[in-house]
Amino acid sequence: MTRVSLFAQDARTKSRNAAEKRFRAYGLSAIVVALLALVWLLVSIFGNGLPAFRQTFISFPVTLDAAVLDKAGNRNVAEMAKTTTIGYAKLLATSLEAELAAKGIDLGEVKSKDLTKMISEESPATLRNRVLADPSLIGQTVQVSVLASGRIDGYYKGRVSMESAAKDKNTSPEQLALADQMQSAGVLSMQLNPGFLTMPDASDKRPEAAGLGVAIIGSLYMMVVVLVLALPIGVAASVYLEEFAPKNKFTDLIEVNIANLAAVPSIVYGILGLAIFINFAGLPQSAPIVGGLVLTLMTLPRIIIPTRAALKAVPPSIRDAALGVGASRLQTVTHHVLPLAMPGILTGTIIGLAQALGETAPLLLIGMVAFVRDFPGAPPEGLFDPAAALPVQIYNWTQRGDPGFVERASGAIIVLLVFLIAMNAIAIYFRRKFERRW
Amino acid sequence: MKDQRLETRVDTQTIKIEARKAQVYYGTNHAIKDVDVDILDKTVTAFIGPSGCGKSTFLRCLNRMNDTIPSCRVEGRITLEGEDIYDPRVDPVQLRARIGMVFQKPNPFPKSIYDNVAYGPKIHGLTRNKAELDEVVESCLRKAALWNEVKDRLAAPGTGLSGGQQQRLCIARAIATSPEVLLMDEPCSALDPIATAQVEELIDELRSQFSVVIVTHSMQQAARVSQRTAFFHLGNLVEFGETGQIFTNPRDPRTESYISGRIG
Repeated sequence: MTRVSLFAQDARTKSRNAAEKRFRAYGLSAIVVALLALVWLLVSIFGNGLPAFRQTFISFPVTLDAAVLDKAGNRNVAEMAKTTTIGYAKLLATSLEAELAAKGIDLGEVKSKDLTKMISEESPATLRNRVLADPSLIGQTVQVSVLASGRIDGYYKGRVSMESAAKDKNTSPEQLALADQMQSAGVLSMQLNPGFLTMPDASDKRPEAAGLGVAIIGSLYMMVVVLVLALPIGVAASVYLEEFAPKNKFTDLIEVNIANLAAVPSIVYGILGLAIFINFAGLPQSAPIVGGLVLTLMTLPRIIIPTRAALKAVPPSIRDAALGVGASRLQTVTHHVLPLAMPGILTGTIIGLAQALGETAPLLLIGMVAFVRDFPGAPPEGLFDPAAALPVQIYNWTQRGDPGFVERASGAIIVLLVFLIAMNAIAIYFRRKFERRW
Repeated sequence: MKDQRLETRVDTQTIKIEARKAQVYYGTNHAIKDVDVDILDKTVTAFIGPSGCGKSTFLRCLNRMNDTIPSCRVEGRITLEGEDIYDPRVDPVQLRARIGMVFQKPNPFPKSIYDNVAYGPKIHGLTRNKAELDEVVESCLRKAALWNEVKDRLAAPGTGLSGGQQQRLCIARAIATSPEVLLMDEPCSALDPIATAQVEELIDELRSQFSVVIVTHSMQQAARVSQRTAFFHLGNLVEFGETGQIFTNPRDPRTESYISGRIG
């Protein structure tokens, strides 16, 4: 046999090394592609969505003229309510005109009617609510900061240009030029918009006033329902199946079915919820309670599976030890097995909740897609009031015509992502906190 | 280390556990056949035999730990002070409080040293207040020869102790419920020789209060700690008698082959 130098690679070694290099390259490129896709997604969402958190406001003093707002002069709220938003819109326009005149800004081509259009249609209603809530304001001059209309706001966010405004019957280049003058005079400015998180949805014509308030509360209510129902039921079912149930054909069947249920498309749960909770049980449509129940059904298998895995991972020696000193099976489970399985159970639960939070399809079928402007009441009654949900609100906004809703939808996605990341962070925290070695 | 103590005599003749024609089946597998054994009070009884001979299986029958295995079935009669432990009226939980168990691998609860020992008395309601519980914990840790090593860190996790300390903690936990019989399933197989010696010494001391049954792979250990020895082979009890007699003058040729190292 001839002696072969260790420094020279033979053909087999070369081809094996080449195969390994190719495999590494495949893996690396897969990761790079995935990362690029993620970066692209984040950049586009944040690029589109961050402007939704800032809004163009017009600030000026408004004289709340008693002759217009309280014709009877007795500060009776019921009678004052006869003055509609149209009256308030006129009041706003007059006050703005006066403010502009005071600042020495020439209206030029812009007529008084067009000036009204530069203010969001939502603003008169906001002012009216403010006055009706506090009639003592009448007769005073108050500083207001009202939303600019969607087109003016779009101009400062790059959505609307002088060219597009010329073809747009909702705005005109003259209005935009006036807006620029107002900005230099300090009347108009871009500000942080907390209303995006606190205000309810607004109609198609008023993207500038649309907010996530009702959707966030609706989603919160649903998550509470899911947590309160799915965690105890899921843990009890898992503990029973894992620790007490005899191992036979019947429990095998249940096990297979749970695994299958976790894979059932979520829209099927929507149909189930529609049939059972709304048509059969007669619960109201669009209500967080129904959404929560449907999402509970959907989340249960997703909690049971990781919970059972966590229970299985507890070493049998711990059970032996507890039984050996005369603990009953329930004591063994509650004193020893459950605490040890807790990090896994909590992680599974929170990830199940996060999935439920992002679920859209089943909610569409039970009427959560409805346009809801009224905030639901305080729980528990509020659970039966109509509400929206975050993912459905996103879906809803992407369907609307006004280009102002594009940034709204992306902004809502950012809010949803923040909630999901927060929930996953909590899951990681719990896992770290309760993790024990044995 | 006291090495061979073949001269040790059996002190008492009171029978604690009596097994007659005990049979154990795992499904269709007949694991234990016709075993007749008397476990005497205040005596260390050793079960020896090659791997898979059924000695651990039989040990686990004595406090019904085999109940947790669904396919396991026990027949025959096993009594604790004359009462059949497989009687349907017997709650295994009460039985296990009277027949404690120490396992092969040290398995302290992932709780504090104190809580490990206090767990049994707590769930059985053996103490009325914290002071009494403290006393029980201290006395059990003393009996388990662990008190001096852990008295300053009772709140430290039991899992943080060394292997030998963990096993002594498990013994302290087992005796905290004041059992009458202590079953030990190869308690030293996961321990080093020094820890083994400590545990063996402890077993000898425990004999003054409990009846101890120990399963062991080591014939030297059986000879050192036990007064009576049972030799199991292929599910049969081959020979059962005083340890000195089994090791010096076995009656059955299989016993002789095993203790002289020819089978097993």
